[in-house]
Amino acid sequence: MTDPYKTLGVSKSSTQDEIKKAYRNLVKKHHPDLNPGNKQAEAKFKEISHAYELIGTPENRLKFDRGETDQQQHEAQAEQQRYWEEALRGDKRKRKSTFYNTQQNGGRYSHSFGEEFVGEDFFEDLFRKAGHKQTRPTKGTDTLYQMNVTLAESVLGAEKVITLPNGKNISVKIPQGISSGTKLRFKGLGESGADDYPPGDAFIEIIVTPMKAFKRVGNDIETEINISFIEAILGAEISVPTLYGPVMMKIPAGVNNGSRLRIRGKGVQSSSGSGSQIVEIKIIMPKIISPELHTEVRSWHGRFDYNPRSSTPRNEKSEKQYNV
Amino acid sequence: MKNNIMFELREASIHCGINQEIIKQFIQYEWISPVDPSELKLDEEDIARILLIWELKQELGVNDEAVPIILHLIDELNHLHLLAKNKQN
Repeated sequence: MTDPYKTLGVSKSSTQDEIKKAYRNLVKKHHPDLNPGNKQAEAKFKEISHAYELIGTPENRLKFDRGETDQQQHEAQAEQQRYWEEALRGDKRKRKSTFYNTQQNGGRYSHSFGEEFVGEDFFEDLFRKAGHKQTRPTKGTDTLYQMNVTLAESVLGAEKVITLPNGKNISVKIPQGISSGTKLRFKGLGESGADDYPPGDAFIEIIVTPMKAFKRVGNDIETEINISFIEAILGAEISVPTLYGPVMMKIPAGVNNGSRLRIRGKGVQSSSGSGSQIVEIKIIMPKIISPELHTEVRSWHGRFDYNPRSSTPRNEKSEKQYNV
Repeated sequence: MKNNIMFELREASIHCGINQEIIKQFIQYEWISPVDPSELKLDEEDIARILLIWELKQELGVNDEAVPIILHLIDELNHLHLLAKNKQN
């Protein structure tokens, strides 16, 4: 019996990984399918396989090192040897032929090149074919559909049904806080794959249609609210519409036109954070100034010195944000 | 002479000692082109190729990306070898 350590080119103190590595390197070099027609390589390959059988696993190695060669091991070795001998002889009755043998009398795989191929374009052909035929196949084609949702639906979440061109209905769960352009994936609902290939996926792109009264900026929702100049002077508590329903908001006394008031928790609630509703104050003058109001303001004007253009070019209060 | 025995996937799996799903995957990757693709029947060549792929992956640690390249090279090598042999004769 030849020494398997010697055959594999390793020492007795080599680790199991080193043995495996040595075996792989030798197999790469001497595999019959990689050395078609090379009898020496075939014989060497048989020897290498046999050696690895003896010391390829810690259990077998231990047995071999102890000199234990039980009947079962002998039989396994003999079977392995017979297998390779028969396979390498090209015995077609043998259950497991090497791939090389199956290709020697007109194999389908090696004949896929056609008669005209003589190897000049070896690498060009390799990459063309590798890219075309033998790489992982693509599954069925993915399909893309669009679904319109209102801003409210996108913020609050919703469930809608979409009918695909093949008549199939998909129930689409729109998650809270979804942004326009987000694509939801439905695995396996794209086009069917050829033969047994898996179908592609269906993607639903969410298109958020704008609302007149609400505008989404990041996770915040911006709105405007009209108040009277009296409410602006005296302050007030008014009802403000939000996407979650109306809420009461305190308007601080002396609020300015353009002031932005924040209502926490009434913006977009998404994984990236919780937004607010930003309410911009619009002070609206009465359409008709009654004579009474005119008289009152005139009398008041003399008593109260007020010049909005005297201190700063910009009104300080208009930039202040109030938290409600 | 080449034998004409054809195997169903289940039989091929038992024959090779390789799980059916793995063989199916080889077919999906187009590493194996079954002799009868509609019935998914495999012949001796397919079986030998399955075993070769299995050896490449398991014994030599070849990754999935390299398998089709190696198979292609082997196919070309076999083809050229056959051409050379025919010329000699």
